[in-house]
Amino acid sequence: MKFGNLLIAGLVTGSIYAVFAVCVSVWYRVSNILNLAVGDFAMVGALGVDYVYRVKGLPLPVAIITTLAVVGVFAYAYDRVVLRLAQDGPRRMEGIVVTFFFTFALSFFIDGVAKMLFGTDVHAAPALWNGQALTWASLHFERAGLLVLGCAIIIGGAFWLYIRYTLGGKALEACGENVIGARIAGIDTRRYRWLIFVATAVIAAIFGIVESPITGYTYLSGATISLTGFLAAAYGGFRKPGRALLAGLFIGVLEALLGGYVSAEYGDTVLYAILAALVLAWPRGLGFESAVSG
Amino acid sequence: MSGRVNGLVSVARTRSLAPTGVVLVAGVLIVVIYGQQYTGSVFVLAACYAIVTAGMAVQIGFSQQIAFSQSVFMGVGAYGVAMLNAHFNMSVLVATPIVMVGAAIAALVLGSVVTRASGLALAVATLMLPLIAVGYVSNTGFLGGPVGAPLTGQLWPSSSTTTSLVGGGLVTVAFLAIVVFVCSRILTSDIGLELFVLGVDERTAAAMGVRTPRRKLELFVLGCVFAALGGAAYAGTQQFVPETLIDPTAELALLIMLFIGGRRSVIGAVVGALVIQYLQGASNWVSVNILVVEGLLLTVVLLVDPEGLAGIAHTVTGWLRARYGDRVPRRRAAAAAPAAAAPAAAEPVVLRLEPVIAGQGFSANEAARETSAAPLLECRGVNKEYGGLSVLDDVSLVLPDRGLFGLCGPNGAGKSTLLNVIGGSVPPSRGQVLLDGDDITRTPPHERFYLGISRTFQAVHLIKGRTVLDNVAVACLASHKSSILTRIGRSRLDQAREQAAETLNGLGMRHMRDREVSSLTLENQRLVELARALAPRPRLLLLDEPASGLSEQQRSRLADLLHAIGELTCVLLVEHDLDLVAQVSQRIFVLSSGRLVFDGGPDDFRASPVVNSLLVGL
Repeated sequence: MKFGNLLIAGLVTGSIYAVFAVCVSVWYRVSNILNLAVGDFAMVGALGVDYVYRVKGLPLPVAIITTLAVVGVFAYAYDRVVLRLAQDGPRRMEGIVVTFFFTFALSFFIDGVAKMLFGTDVHAAPALWNGQALTWASLHFERAGLLVLGCAIIIGGAFWLYIRYTLGGKALEACGENVIGARIAGIDTRRYRWLIFVATAVIAAIFGIVESPITGYTYLSGATISLTGFLAAAYGGFRKPGRALLAGLFIGVLEALLGGYVSAEYGDTVLYAILAALVLAWPRGLGFESAVSG
Repeated sequence: MSGRVNGLVSVARTRSLAPTGVVLVAGVLIVVIYGQQYTGSVFVLAACYAIVTAGMAVQIGFSQQIAFSQSVFMGVGAYGVAMLNAHFNMSVLVATPIVMVGAAIAALVLGSVVTRASGLALAVATLMLPLIAVGYVSNTGFLGGPVGAPLTGQLWPSSSTTTSLVGGGLVTVAFLAIVVFVCSRILTSDIGLELFVLGVDERTAAAMGVRTPRRKLELFVLGCVFAALGGAAYAGTQQFVPETLIDPTAELALLIMLFIGGRRSVIGAVVGALVIQYLQGASNWVSVNILVVEGLLLTVVLLVDPEGLAGIAHTVTGWLRARYGDRVPRRRAAAAAPAAAAPAAAEPVVLRLEPVIAGQGFSANEAARETSAAPLLECRGVNKEYGGLSVLDDVSLVLPDRGLFGLCGPNGAGKSTLLNVIGGSVPPSRGQVLLDGDDITRTPPHERFYLGISRTFQAVHLIKGRTVLDNVAVACLASHKSSILTRIGRSRLDQAREQAAETLNGLGMRHMRDREVSSLTLENQRLVELARALAPRPRLLLLDEPASGLSEQQRSRLADLLHAIGELTCVLLVEHDLDLVAQVSQRIFVLSSGRLVFDGGPDDFRASPVVNSLLVGL
């Protein structure tokens, strides 16, 4: 049953990647900015709850609500101050500067502040669902893993329903297709930009809280999570949340299988080599905007 | 004319020599004065990083080829030197060139795989490199693993600490000066213009004859080799290679230095490395909280100016000049005076197309033409399918040496696709394209450019931020075939500009040559694009809707021009304006749903029931 257990573990990590990939690609549709700080919000969620609950000694629900509120308010303030100046200012910036580098700087900033506040040790939010792993026919289900999977299904499903069936979701799609066209049609693209940014930041923080009991976080964990989310979003062509979700699950399962069958040490190295080869061999099929030349 | 050209040459020379001189003089002074102190060691460390970021300014900033390979190759340089030094007791100065050659070969092999990808695919594929490298080193204990690799030697071996510190510092400054010189030369030479176009739009670059795959590979190797040199200097001066050097965060830190300094500016990239390293070295608080400082600094600098500190400095000097009007602009104005002296606006527009088109351009091909009996261009049964949807269905046509040929059809008939198939940017699913009877179906677009095929695009594809002259000069560069390195010595930019100026004069566009292209009207932008397509003296000119968006009067001027061009070369014109097509074309092809449904002269065209039902709606 090694394969079954590896598959379960892969699906759990894959669902985390998938949620971050969905967050990255949904916001990219609206803003044309890649959120490289999404993982850092997750880290702040996990370490923030740990800090308020364990160090300050406040009750767990208070800790969770405070942390999420801080993340949401910070994300809103960041959009109002920095992104408004960058995208809505007199000199509208375009290209790689705005696509990558503002959120890249944000990621560094959040990590630095987290280092000041939470230190450099490994911490985690307290487990929300305690107890022994559930066992069924020699398959093991960690409770925290099931919680992560459940959250992923709920959040992914909610996003899908929102985009597929609501007027807001259609407007959101329109923003991604053509910003000026969307504005002419009366859609406030700026409002969607901050709305989705704050929403994805809070979702990321929730995932950090739920997931951290499994792996444990340091102030640098955010960058790794952002990276995997970014990769999964890239394999989904950045603009397609559905494909990003599948890509995230695929990467998670592949990682677990490589770790289990190939080598525990080199699993990740082989994984990255496979992912790089995939991009080079099949860029158009994977939805990269530009094709292979020559 | 010659005065103007001489002015340009001297400007180009000072532009590449000035940064090198500043770096050399300032670097030597700092090392000699502060060499033995803490400040000196911080500066030398910064110089090691600056060697890497200067290469990144050319590769990532200027040419927009985003590849995350620098930290890995910095590691190749540093670990390579450390291994040769520790195991073979080789001196660092001897090991450095060996390691650089090794890095160049490795970069060539790796680059020939990864640079096949463009844009985001290139970024994502190379993003894996630091991840693979750090995973390998820390898990295997290879090269010292997480502990790092120590060196016994120094960059400047000496028994006295003072001499070795100052000597090592001076060697590093010399390395940096060489790198800055090479990078500035590349950016101010004709290759710089090519790379600028490549950075803006790869497709346009290829249509202008830029050998995009080769340039991308060269840029990749250049970035990697300079990174390896920076790594070797790092190992030699720090005498220790930590694992963190190849960590993905190291790559990100390099990018931050580049973007704070100014991504397109070599000197800006050097300053960026200095600023970050100095801040880290000067204050313990900054060193501990470097992430906060880098994040804030990058955000603020980019908000003020996306071109970083170099952009801010440029704005400030421009403002100071405007405010105080010092001597520098006057000298520049004097250099430009001969060109400006001619009363531009009053000049009557005279078309002198013969020298423009029938000049030396592709004379070698022209000579070959004399003996060949085959038609200039032939399409044989061309098919194009996109995922089962047929866009071109068995299209065959033949074009002779001279004349203007119209290509019409309703929207979605496959006109632009056919043009792309002939131009080479879209491969046909089936069928052949022949030029002079030779099969060119698999020839890439930049090779077709040299065979004499030139084109314009449906949407204007000019290079923003450059003058009209430079936009036309891109297509005249005779340097396309040579490598980046051989162009460092001599730039042919002036020759290309001269040829471009000739074309502009011939088309009566002399007065707009020094204007920035986005300040032109649509009509003039289309004319510049036409001039750019004509400048290399093509044998086959592909025009994609040159009249769209133009007024009635502008169209009739364009018709006269097209008529004159058609006398001298072969033109295939895709156009929606049927009157214009019928007026200028000697033969007209009509496409409908990918099939060729009409082929005949303008009179038949006007009378044809097929054409009328399809295009006029009668």
